[in-house]
Amino acid sequence: MSFLQQSLLWGLFAASIPIIIHLLNRRRHRTVKWAAMEFLLKATRESRGKKKLKYLLILTCRALAIAALIFAIARPLVGGFLGWGGTQIDTVILILDRSASMEQQASYGSGGNRESKRQSAIASVRQSLENLNNPRLVLIDSATGNSQDVPSPDALEELSATSATDTRASIPTLISNAIDYVLEKSPGRTEIWVASDLQESDWAPDQGRWEAIRTGLIDLPQKTTLRVLSLAAPAKNNTSIRVTSSRRSGDELVLDIQLTRTDDETPEAIPITYSLNGTRSSNKITLNGQSYQFQKRLPLGKRDGVGHGFVSIPSDTNPRDNVCFFAYGEDSPTTTYLVSEGGESADWLNLASAPPGFGRSRCVDIKPNSAHKIEWSKTALIIWQASLPKGPVAQELIRYIEAGGAAIMLPPRSESETTFLGLNWGQQTISPRDQYFIVDEWDQSDGPLRNGAEGTLIPVPKLKAIKRRQIVGEATTLASWDDAQPFLVRRVIGDGTVIFASTLPDYTWSNLGDADVLLPVVQRMIAVGDTRFGSAFAAISGSTEAQTAEGELRNRLDSHAESNTSNAAYEAGVWKLGDRLLATNRPPSEDQWQIITKTRLNALLEGTPYKLFEDQGQSDPLAQEIWRAFLIAMLVFLITEAILCLSPKAGTSPS
Amino acid sequence: MKYDFLDPQALARLGAIPLEARHAMSGNVTGRHRSPHRGSSVEFAEYRKYVQGDDTRRLDWKAYARSDRYYIKEFEADTNLRAYFVLDASGSMGFSAEDDARIQFARKLAATLAYLIVDQGDAAGLSICQEKIHLEIPPTRRAAHLNHIFEVLSQTEPTGETGLVEALHTIAEKVGQRALVIIMSDLFCDTNALADALQHLRYRKHDIAVFHLLDQQEIDFDFERPHRFVDMEDKTSVVAEPALIAEDYRKAMQDFMQAVQTKCHDVHADYHLITTNQDYEEIIHDFLTTRLPKKGQK
Repeated sequence: MSFLQQSLLWGLFAASIPIIIHLLNRRRHRTVKWAAMEFLLKATRESRGKKKLKYLLILTCRALAIAALIFAIARPLVGGFLGWGGTQIDTVILILDRSASMEQQASYGSGGNRESKRQSAIASVRQSLENLNNPRLVLIDSATGNSQDVPSPDALEELSATSATDTRASIPTLISNAIDYVLEKSPGRTEIWVASDLQESDWAPDQGRWEAIRTGLIDLPQKTTLRVLSLAAPAKNNTSIRVTSSRRSGDELVLDIQLTRTDDETPEAIPITYSLNGTRSSNKITLNGQSYQFQKRLPLGKRDGVGHGFVSIPSDTNPRDNVCFFAYGEDSPTTTYLVSEGGESADWLNLASAPPGFGRSRCVDIKPNSAHKIEWSKTALIIWQASLPKGPVAQELIRYIEAGGAAIMLPPRSESETTFLGLNWGQQTISPRDQYFIVDEWDQSDGPLRNGAEGTLIPVPKLKAIKRRQIVGEATTLASWDDAQPFLVRRVIGDGTVIFASTLPDYTWSNLGDADVLLPVVQRMIAVGDTRFGSAFAAISGSTEAQTAEGELRNRLDSHAESNTSNAAYEAGVWKLGDRLLATNRPPSEDQWQIITKTRLNALLEGTPYKLFEDQGQSDPLAQEIWRAFLIAMLVFLITEAILCLSPKAGTSPS
Repeated sequence: MKYDFLDPQALARLGAIPLEARHAMSGNVTGRHRSPHRGSSVEFAEYRKYVQGDDTRRLDWKAYARSDRYYIKEFEADTNLRAYFVLDASGSMGFSAEDDARIQFARKLAATLAYLIVDQGDAAGLSICQEKIHLEIPPTRRAAHLNHIFEVLSQTEPTGETGLVEALHTIAEKVGQRALVIIMSDLFCDTNALADALQHLRYRKHDIAVFHLLDQQEIDFDFERPHRFVDMEDKTSVVAEPALIAEDYRKAMQDFMQAVQTKCHDVHADYHLITTNQDYEEIIHDFLTTRLPKKGQK
C-alpha cells in the first residue's frame, strides 16, 4: 500500500489522542477521602476482566477511527506494485519491453478480448499513472532505446513507440539509459518502472554490466526506486517457426526450418504455409516433441535470380512468432584486406578470412606501407596486424568504419606508440613458465564471440596464450583474460565496428590460429562489414542493418501483413532498402522462453531500491485508491464504539 | 446554645413524645418502664401460691377467704430506663460529601436523644469506640450529667479504624442489667463479627437500636472522572475509573446493606438506615413514635 499524500501520515500520531486523554485523565484525577473502601476495592478487583476488555475495546475503536480517517485523507493506494512508500513522484521513467515475446497473449482482457503482455502492461501503467495524479512520464522503449516525453498516459496506447515489434530488448542497456537520463535531466523525485516479461535473453543476467547498473542506481543523487512489473506468465499454446538458413542449391531454394512449441504432451499436425515470390503452397508437419527441425526445398524458376518469401503457421497465442521471412539473391564476393607484418599469423588470418571452398570470399594480403592501395569501398573487412595506422591511411580507415565497415586490429610484434580511435598498444606481456593466459569471461549475447543461433557456445576457453599485448584506452570489453586484462574490445564508430584482439594467431603467441575462435570472429566480422553491400539478405529486426542508410527508401515487398510506417524498422518482413533486398526477422533469442528467476533477479538488483510486482495478467491498474474503504472502516469503528459505550439496560429488579 | 448539635426548638418539639423501651428494663429506681420483676406499682400482675418465707403482709386475705388457700398478690414493677449510646468514632465516620459529616449527624442524634431520655427521668450513658480508645460514660439520670455527655460528644473527632465490635462485646459483658443500647455507626466492619456482637447484646437481654448512617454518595457512587480514593481509616489509596467499577461497587454496597439489615433483624434490633442528607428531627420523631406501645398494649 502507498499513499498519495504521504506527509499526512504524520497525522497518525493523532490516533494516540484518545489514549493520551485517557492517561491524562488518570493522572489528573481528584483525590477524595472515602469510607466505604472495602466495597471499592472489591469492585476494582471484579472490574478487571470483561469490563477492562470492554474499556480497552472502546479506546481501541476511538484510536482506530482516527487512524482510519488519517489513512483516508492520505489517499491510500493498493495494488502491490507501488508497495509501501511515498508516491509523491515527479517523474516516472517507463522502460517498456517491446520485444516479440511481449506479444504473448498471456491473459484475456475485458470483454474476452485477447490482450498481449505489452498491451496489458500499458493499460496497467496508464491507469496507475492516473491514480498517481499523472506525474511526468518519460518512455524508454526497448526497440529504439530512446527516451521521449509522453504528454499524457492516455497517449501511451497510441504511440508508435509502444507498438508491437519483432525486436529483442536489452534491459541492462535500457536501465543504464534511464540512469543516464536521471543524471542528465535531474527530473526530481523519480521512479524507474520496467515492464517486461523477464525473458532471460533480454535481461542478460550474465552480463558484467549489472554491477555498473547496481552502482549507478545506488549512486543516483536522489533515491530512485526501480519497480519491475513482471509479466512473466508462462507462454501457453504457442508454436514458433523460424528459418535457420536459406540457400540456393541449383534451381532450388533450400530452407532449414525449425518449429518450437511450448507444450509437448501430444503430437500435433501443424499446417505450414510457404510463400515464395507470391506463390503459396502448404503442407502439414506433425510435431511430436517440443522442437522439430526439417528441410524444405522450394523449386526456383531459372529466371529467379532474386526473390523472397516467408513461411508461416496458423495464428496462436503469440502472432509475432508465427512467420519467418527469407530473401535470396546472387551472392557477391566478399573481400578482406589483410594488412600484416607477415609470418605465421598472416597465414592463419588469410585462411580464416577466405577458407578453402568458400569461393565467394577472397583475401588480399598487403604490407602496411601499401595500405593506400586498399579499395575501401569494396572491402567487407580489414584485418590490421601491424603498428596502428596514422596519417591519411588512418583517416581513410576511420571513414571506412563510419560508413559501416568492419575492422580487426591485432597487435604488432614490436612496440608502437601510435594511437587509433583513442586506443593504442601497450606493453607486451608473457605468461609465467608452464602457465597460459586463458579467457574466462566473454560476452555470449553480443559481439563476434556470441553464442550460435541454437545457443551453442564458441569454445573460447580453448584459447591459450603465452604472449599478449596490452590494449590501452576506453572501449567495450567483449572478452577478458583470467587476470581481467581485456582480450577483445570493441569500438562502434558511426555504422561500423572495430575490434582489438590482444594476441596473435602465431605459435609463439597463442593457439588463436586454431579455428575455434579465430574463424567465427573473422567470419562474423566479415558478415558485419558485408551487410552494407547488400550481399546479405537476412537481418535481425531493429538491427543496424535493418535501418535505412542515407538515401535509401524503405519499401515492403512481402504480402504477409501491413506495416506501420513509423515502426517498420522494427518489424519483421521483406524490405527493399534502396538497392538492398533484406528479410528481417525477430532474433532467435526471442524464441527462447526461459524466464529469469526471482532469485536471480534479486541477485542482479541486490542492494538497489528495487521492488518486484508480478502482474497476474489482468489489465487492472497497478494501484487503486481505497480511501472510501477507510472511511467506511472509520464509521464502523465509531458505531462499534458507540454500541460499547451504551450502558446496558438497567435490569428491573423484582419488588 | 453552646453546642451546635443541639437545637432547642427541636428538643421542645420532640419533648412531648416519650421514649419507650420495647422490652422490660432493669432500672434502679422507679420509673415509667416495665420491669421484669414484680414490684409495688398499682398494676396487678398475678397470684402465686404462698411459700414459706414470703412476707405475710402481701397475702391476699380476700382470696384466702374465698378459697381457703394462701395466695400472694403480685404487682408489676415500674422502673427507669438506662440507655447506652454507642458512637462509632472511627475515621470513616468523618466522611462527608455535601451534607454534614457523619459524625456530626451522629452527634445530633445522640445528644438529642440523650437530652430527651434524661428529661423523662431515665439514665443516659455514652460509649465512644475507636480502634484503641474505648471511652465510657456510665448512665445516670442527673441533668448535670448531660453536660458531660455533650462535652465528650463535641470533643470526639473521628480517627483510626473502628473498634465497634469490641466495644459492643465490652458493653454486653459489663452491663448486667437490661438496658437500651443505641448504636450509631456506618457499620463498615465485618458483618459476621457485628452480628456476633449484636447477638451477644441480645443474649444479655438488651434492647438494641441501630442507626446505620450512610452518605447518599456512598450509595449512589455517581462519580464521572477517575478519582484517587483514600481510605479514611488506614490511608491506603486506589485510583479507580468510576465508569468501570460503579456497577460492581453499587452491587457490593447493596449486598452489604442487605446483610446488615438481615443481621439486625435476626437479633430483633430496631434497625434504621439513615442517609446524612435526611432531617435528623424527623428521624428521631419516627424513632420515638414507632416505639410507642400499640393500643391496648402496656
